[in-house]
Amino acid sequence: MAFEIPKIKYTGRIREVEIGAGQKALKVGGATCYPFYRFEGDMPNVPKVAFEVWDSPPDEWQQWAVEPYRDVLGDPVAWAKKCIDAYGAEMIVLQLRSADPNGENRATEEVVEVVKKVADAIDVPLLVWGTANDDKDSELLRMVAEVCESKNVAVGPVSEKNYKQIGAMAIGYGQVVMASSPIDVNLAKQLNILLGNLGVNEEKIIIDPTTGGLGYGLEYTYSVMERDRMAALTQEDAKLQFPIICNIAPEVWKTRETRLTREEDPKLGDEKRRSVLMEAITAMTLLVAGADIVVMRHPDSVSLVRDMIGELCA
Amino acid sequence: MVCLNNMPREYRIRFLPIDRVAPAAEGDNLLEIAMKAGVHINASCGGNGACGKCKVRIAEGSVASSPHRCLSDDEYGKGFRLACSSTVNAGAVVEIPLESQVDRSILRKPAIRDDADAAALIEGSIRDNAFEPLVVKHYLELPGPNPNDNVSDAARLARGFVPGKDGSEMAVPLEVLGDLGKKLRDAHWKVTVTAASNERFREAVLVEEGNRERVHYALAVDVGTTTVCAQLIDCGRGNSGDVKGAPSGNPPVIAESADYNGQISYGEDVISRIMYSRKKGGLKRLQDIVVSTMNRLIEDLIGSACVDAADISHVVVAGNTTMMHLLFGIDPKHIMLAPYTPLATAFAPVSSRRIGLKLGGHARLYTVPGVASYVGGDIVSGVALSGMTSRDEVSLFMDIGTNGEIVLGNSQWLLCASCSAGPAFEGGGIQFGMRAAPGAIEKVRINPANLEPMMITVDRAKPLGICGSGLIDIVAELFMAGAIDQNGKFAEKRSSPRIRKGVSGYEYVLCFAAETKIDKDIVITEVDLDNIMRTKAAVYAGCKVLLENGSLAFPDLGMVIIAGGFGHSIDIEKAVAIGLLPEIPVERFRFLGNGSLGGARMAAVSRSFFEKTGVIARSMTNIELSNNTQFMDEFMAAMFLPHTDEKAFPEVMRVLKTGYRS
Repeated sequence: MAFEIPKIKYTGRIREVEIGAGQKALKVGGATCYPFYRFEGDMPNVPKVAFEVWDSPPDEWQQWAVEPYRDVLGDPVAWAKKCIDAYGAEMIVLQLRSADPNGENRATEEVVEVVKKVADAIDVPLLVWGTANDDKDSELLRMVAEVCESKNVAVGPVSEKNYKQIGAMAIGYGQVVMASSPIDVNLAKQLNILLGNLGVNEEKIIIDPTTGGLGYGLEYTYSVMERDRMAALTQEDAKLQFPIICNIAPEVWKTRETRLTREEDPKLGDEKRRSVLMEAITAMTLLVAGADIVVMRHPDSVSLVRDMIGELCA
Repeated sequence: MVCLNNMPREYRIRFLPIDRVAPAAEGDNLLEIAMKAGVHINASCGGNGACGKCKVRIAEGSVASSPHRCLSDDEYGKGFRLACSSTVNAGAVVEIPLESQVDRSILRKPAIRDDADAAALIEGSIRDNAFEPLVVKHYLELPGPNPNDNVSDAARLARGFVPGKDGSEMAVPLEVLGDLGKKLRDAHWKVTVTAASNERFREAVLVEEGNRERVHYALAVDVGTTTVCAQLIDCGRGNSGDVKGAPSGNPPVIAESADYNGQISYGEDVISRIMYSRKKGGLKRLQDIVVSTMNRLIEDLIGSACVDAADISHVVVAGNTTMMHLLFGIDPKHIMLAPYTPLATAFAPVSSRRIGLKLGGHARLYTVPGVASYVGGDIVSGVALSGMTSRDEVSLFMDIGTNGEIVLGNSQWLLCASCSAGPAFEGGGIQFGMRAAPGAIEKVRINPANLEPMMITVDRAKPLGICGSGLIDIVAELFMAGAIDQNGKFAEKRSSPRIRKGVSGYEYVLCFAAETKIDKDIVITEVDLDNIMRTKAAVYAGCKVLLENGSLAFPDLGMVIIAGGFGHSIDIEKAVAIGLLPEIPVERFRFLGNGSLGGARMAAVSRSFFEKTGVIARSMTNIELSNNTQFMDEFMAAMFLPHTDEKAFPEVMRVLKTGYRS
């Protein structure tokens, strides 16, 4: 008798969530098997890389991170377009860093103006990432949802503290919400239930499990995502059957290991190569854990990750 | 003998317009009858006649009720009465006025089980354990010495003593030998010997002249962190006639008393007591204080039962491990330091004078053994009493106090854990929380249409605060009414004069200042809700972890036994609605009452029961939850109403989604 590879019995399916409108709209999720286990099930939508664009010029970026975007860093619209045109971005994440009350604390109206400009200028799906300050985001993302009407953007992070305000506006303007919880499978599920109770459509939720970069808690995110997927696919846990997004770039690029130059610590080797690998490895690891969208910065790390996705989905 | 004429007469009270009939006895309070029958009447002062909201009209029949300032003469004439100030004196038809009416489909009878449970539960323990007090008294008529029989006095005494069932012999120690010779001869060899049981033999502790068999008492004491309860037991009555049959089943309690543990002034929980014991002289002071609390109770008991302290032969105490350390004056420090090792969990019997009890020098002090730092003899005592160790079906035993100790098992095995639940259900950490004392709001129903409450306080005194059962009711009722979300936060969309923004977030006003005894609005805040959520989550998570360690799930449980003073009046259905208790058929829940005291009482009159507590303590496997990752995970899952896993609470979820209808 021929040897038969044992197969996992799946009982659930990740919901498909569409982001964006028009021809370039994209679907994420839909899997009926563990990540890349295509010999056991279906993975109709391959995982996506989203390029990050900041709403104001970053002043603490490493030279080797600035390099690919030097000419566009002051103009979010041009930046987004460069990602799409030069680096083939299929999705843009607009990080609203300037609104952070602990930083520049730019007024909501000004920030929203930028969001609207970017949204109007690009045709790929837009994801708008707030400040992770519950109160500010509550105000900011509500307006974002409003000005991006009919564009089917994703807004987040939406927390247990502000889900009502943002969720209500997202329902009203038909946007997707990115439900964010602090690295805990139960908290993720609770927020999804609360969003459901509020009336958010199940095809409009993406999970943000909170991302730790390589060396900075990656393993926690990994375990939680693994458990999310096990619950969703093998334990019929409907409240976890949503695509997952990992906002990797800001986590990786703020670490000491991506900041130190070879001169400062010769043991660590070339700084650019090192940083690119750190970003790529974080993304690859989280893709294997079940991420449907990874948010990345450097075109070189993106291309490594695309190669991996391509090979695993060949 | 029961005199039939003294039995209260039974009447039927019919409530309109919902048309529900409830039986009632003469003198019963109308508001309480309504609560029991699941009939909603607005009442926000707890039932003491202050708020005037529980107005009803007596359409037929009558009730005993005096005029009230809230009722005009005209209203009184038309038959309006305040339900809280009315008692039954005949059958009656009671009309609930419009402002109090609730859609009848939401009216459900509270699922409160009473002490009848306890009697049924411990019946097995009484049946299985012969009446043989830990200390026995036997009257002996000894043959005097003669040239052919000149064994020693001590040997003569021992020879005359009927050996125990196990054939154990009696030893006569030096203390008794002192004046034995004179005593025996003065009494013409007719004496009563008091013999205490030790591990392997009996030991004479007292020899008295004449027949003193009937004058034989024991004390059972539950030394709680907050309350010390004691009972005086007549062991002499069991001596008459059949040794096996304790009169009327239960050990005969002739007096009962309780008081706050005097140590309370030195900290409310065991950790603060341990901290205090580390100060200079602190340990001795704490020992002295709890002993004086016990002495006060002893005085009280012997006073009310007219018993001489010298006739008390033995004392059985049960308490948590820290309380036992403090009672014996031994250092409890390591109980609170990882890895949480107590100095001892079992204590050999000693003379009760050793710790300063004001009893005869012969009175022995026995201690129900414990298991670990946070699972003490109080739990072992309750488990033994509940009879769960003689059943094959698996039971879950829960004592929901400050620590929330839980025990899972059957006749073959036992697992236990302590889940540091926090004192929310004892009123701790709750703005208006209190223990179940007069004035504590203990039962609450809330009209989902307008969020108007119906409540009853202990003794129907003016409200002072909210006790554990009241808190459970409030959270469950607010949740089912949609006033709070599944995460325990107020739903802002509900507008009601009773929900408002206070200093610590949103709050629900249970009683307005004028209706209370404290001249402050009694509210439940979001911070309170958080604390209750944490407590209920810890208890549920602890149970879940124990079950999983036994490869079991809640539906596998034949019985859930709820012990502790708290367990008297909790409404099972409400406790399930908030996810404190699992959703299993309500008839599987049993209330044991104070199991610690009950077990100590059984031990006092049954040596085999006392020995069983030792076996139980030794056979319990303690699961440490403080560093258990699975517990943390289950805790997070339980921090939701009723629970993150909605499949575990199908009925609660169904009711929540469809309303009480259908």
